[in-house]
Amino acid sequence: MDQFSPILLNLGLLGYVLGALAGLVFFRRSRAANLGAFGCAAAAAACTGLACVHALLTGAATDAGSTRLVPTLVPYVQFTVCLDPLSCFFGLILSLVALALSIYSLGYARGYYGRKSVGVLGAFYNVLVLATTLVFLSDNAFFFLIAWEIMALSAYCLVSFEHEQNETRNAGVLFFVMSHIGTGCLILGFLLLFQASGGYGFAGFHALGDKMAASPRNAAFLLFLVGFGVKAGLVPLHIWLPAAHPVAPSNVSALLSGVLIKTGIYGLARVLFDFLGTPPNWWGVTVLGLGTLSAVLGVLYALMQHDLKRLLAYHSIENIGIILMGLGAALMFLHTGHPVLASLALVAGLYHTINHAVFKALLFLGAGAVVHAAHTRDMEEMGGLAKRMPHTALFFLIGAVAISALPPLNGFVSEWLVYQSLLQGFGTTSSLIRLMFPLSGAMLALTGALAAACFVKAFGITFLAQPRSTHAAQAREATPTMLLGQGLLAAACVFLGLFPTLFLKVLDPVTRQLAGPALSTQLSLANGLVLSGATPGGGSVSTLGLTAAAAGLLLVPFALWLVYARRTRVRLGPTWDCGLQGLTPRMEYTATGFSKPIRMIFKALFRPRREVQREYDFSPYFAKTLRFESHVEELFLTRLYRPLYGAVWQASRRMRALQAGSLQAYLIYIFVILLVLLLFAL
Amino acid sequence: MNPAISTDIAAQLIALLAVLMLVVQLLLVVQRMLLTSIRLFAVQSMFLAGIAAVVAFFHGAMHVYIVAGLTFIGKVMFLPWLLDRQVRRMRIGQEIEPLVNFPTSMLTCGGLTLLGYIVARPFTSLERLGNNTLAVAITLVLTGIFLMFNRRKAITQVLALLTVENGVMLAAVALTTYGMPLVVELGIFFDVLVAVMVLAILVYRIRESFDSMDVGKLTQLKG
Repeated sequence: MDQFSPILLNLGLLGYVLGALAGLVFFRRSRAANLGAFGCAAAAAACTGLACVHALLTGAATDAGSTRLVPTLVPYVQFTVCLDPLSCFFGLILSLVALALSIYSLGYARGYYGRKSVGVLGAFYNVLVLATTLVFLSDNAFFFLIAWEIMALSAYCLVSFEHEQNETRNAGVLFFVMSHIGTGCLILGFLLLFQASGGYGFAGFHALGDKMAASPRNAAFLLFLVGFGVKAGLVPLHIWLPAAHPVAPSNVSALLSGVLIKTGIYGLARVLFDFLGTPPNWWGVTVLGLGTLSAVLGVLYALMQHDLKRLLAYHSIENIGIILMGLGAALMFLHTGHPVLASLALVAGLYHTINHAVFKALLFLGAGAVVHAAHTRDMEEMGGLAKRMPHTALFFLIGAVAISALPPLNGFVSEWLVYQSLLQGFGTTSSLIRLMFPLSGAMLALTGALAAACFVKAFGITFLAQPRSTHAAQAREATPTMLLGQGLLAAACVFLGLFPTLFLKVLDPVTRQLAGPALSTQLSLANGLVLSGATPGGGSVSTLGLTAAAAGLLLVPFALWLVYARRTRVRLGPTWDCGLQGLTPRMEYTATGFSKPIRMIFKALFRPRREVQREYDFSPYFAKTLRFESHVEELFLTRLYRPLYGAVWQASRRMRALQAGSLQAYLIYIFVILLVLLLFAL
Repeated sequence: MNPAISTDIAAQLIALLAVLMLVVQLLLVVQRMLLTSIRLFAVQSMFLAGIAAVVAFFHGAMHVYIVAGLTFIGKVMFLPWLLDRQVRRMRIGQEIEPLVNFPTSMLTCGGLTLLGYIVARPFTSLERLGNNTLAVAITLVLTGIFLMFNRRKAITQVLALLTVENGVMLAAVALTTYGMPLVVELGIFFDVLVAVMVLAILVYRIRESFDSMDVGKLTQLKG
């Protein structure tokens, strides 16, 4: 067997370990810790990425066996990894993002010199990336869970890195609690699988669902859906996500949003397509429905945010929804026996997974640079940054175009594939359930439009017009390494957008493993220049062609200028200011104002509240001071989680009566239980 | 000596000593004076050491002698001396105030003894030595726990815990021919020794902080 990939992989894992150690050894020396930890992480990410790409392209992944990392002392627990196609694909996503992030962090961590321990940041960062890699690659349920928990704990430490602030601590605790609810469900799910297979190896779980009885199988589905759904940020399990992502350091936010939540997607793909066999219809319907709900609600709440990073965090929920729409549709196609369409939907979902990882990481890095420069996350205090940080603005714009699914970038390609699979799904069944497909398609269209509106707001308010605060006015461009990290991801966005047919080859072994046929040849027309919808009824599109056409059209105004306007006089003047004494930042459109129409349209959902306080001397038209506050209700928080929290709190208070603090009472408890047990034994 | 006769003698001796342990336990339940309680515990431990010595002698298991010796030194001499000194140094009142009055306690312990015998009956075939030693052991554990919550003063609870431990040791010696592996016995022994020493210090602290040894006062610690 080809040993190239396993050796590279081991090198990469070793690199992360070294990086973590470097962070700890140079605990007190920021510069050395920064170089050691993030340098090692970058090298290691390059190694693991190469290993995954090599395994996928040479086909070594298809029949990959397990490799043991560490010898084990306990039965059932095997520390083995397996470079199979699905693992390799997610490993590739992680490595790509981690490479860019590590380079970015070399510059970003400088902001912490003398303020916080960079060594601790670097060490936890390496541990997190290492654990996430092992989550993707492990092929034993125990090892998977161990890696999963290390991942959750190190992520908690990173989220709470700036723990001096109250908000950060609360977010960390929320993340911790939600994460453990999820892990509890996962453990139960794996125990059900263990019951059916008698082992903990993933190889033994393959297609296990067909041998299981219906009720444990459905229970396993629900448990895994909740367990992985928490991590993925599926509505209504998403509440930790918009709390935790903004408060973490920005390189960590990018890792959380780009890769960590993808472990939920990986888990669902692994369990639903690999382990649980041919799905009943309602599984697919549930996943598709929840995906649609997440997509729409995610983007709607995102529109209401004026904290730049929180806005991006809500967009993660939206994109997870879109990915799950692909996976859900694939499940429904598998149920009705349409393997080609199932492959198409799966490709759409997985393609969007890597796209989201790339552009969301890019956007978070951009936001990190902006927050670093403007000293606030509040968009209402930014503005005018495009002039001061031109490169960051360009990269952020690329990310914004990609996430808004505008051609020709990568977000467009994968959302187009999702549309293709949804629209073709209408003909696959005659039951009423087929209405799901066009409905989710329509919701996806709504999502796309709202996302575009949201990023017009995010980019416009942040980067354009005049600075709204002195910090924003004094902002300076990010350091070269920070720009390099963003540039890498921006290049990936462009590549994945312009040459989708090239990249789809990587997905071939994955679809062959999980759904059925490989699609890359069917999906590409005209030597790969055009992307097609795989079936005769499907459409086709070429992002490269669109770009060429757009470039061609650009020549038209230039030609017109050449012909007609060459000799006209150019006149420069100030912007029209309605006769006032010049334009000031206070006249600018605010983020809250921009999103008001949408707030009013979806009033039933947002339940907006506002308070206006005016102080005036003689006439209400000449206010001395004006205070304006507006709030948007987060439905799930106020209607679901608060009541639940209250109920748990009440129950705990009643339980406290048991804990009287009296030694005699405790002894009596023990004694009574002992007596009861003895009497039972009789 | 004829082996059959010697085994018979051993069994009778052990049964006698075990019953004496039980009698001492019941005396502890109705004992009003603290210092006498400590002495009673020493006597009970002496009987336990005697059982271990009998096992060692009649079965030629040398390491059980060590157990017997340690029990004698630790529980008959050292711990009673430690507790005795503690009581005198802190000038605690001698009177023991139980939660449940003496006649009721006595009746309850009678019931617990009955329960111990019923519970142990299915296992009598497992006993290699003596009759009903397991029943006595279970009774010691049950009455020990009863004693623990029936007393107010922290030091009497330490004493009750020690009698529970005596019950456990009795079960260990009686149910296995040569006792448990020496390492385990030593482990238990030092465990108890350290626990009691720690408890003794804690009791002293409780006394200092609350001006009382009544554990009921500990409810004040609850937030």
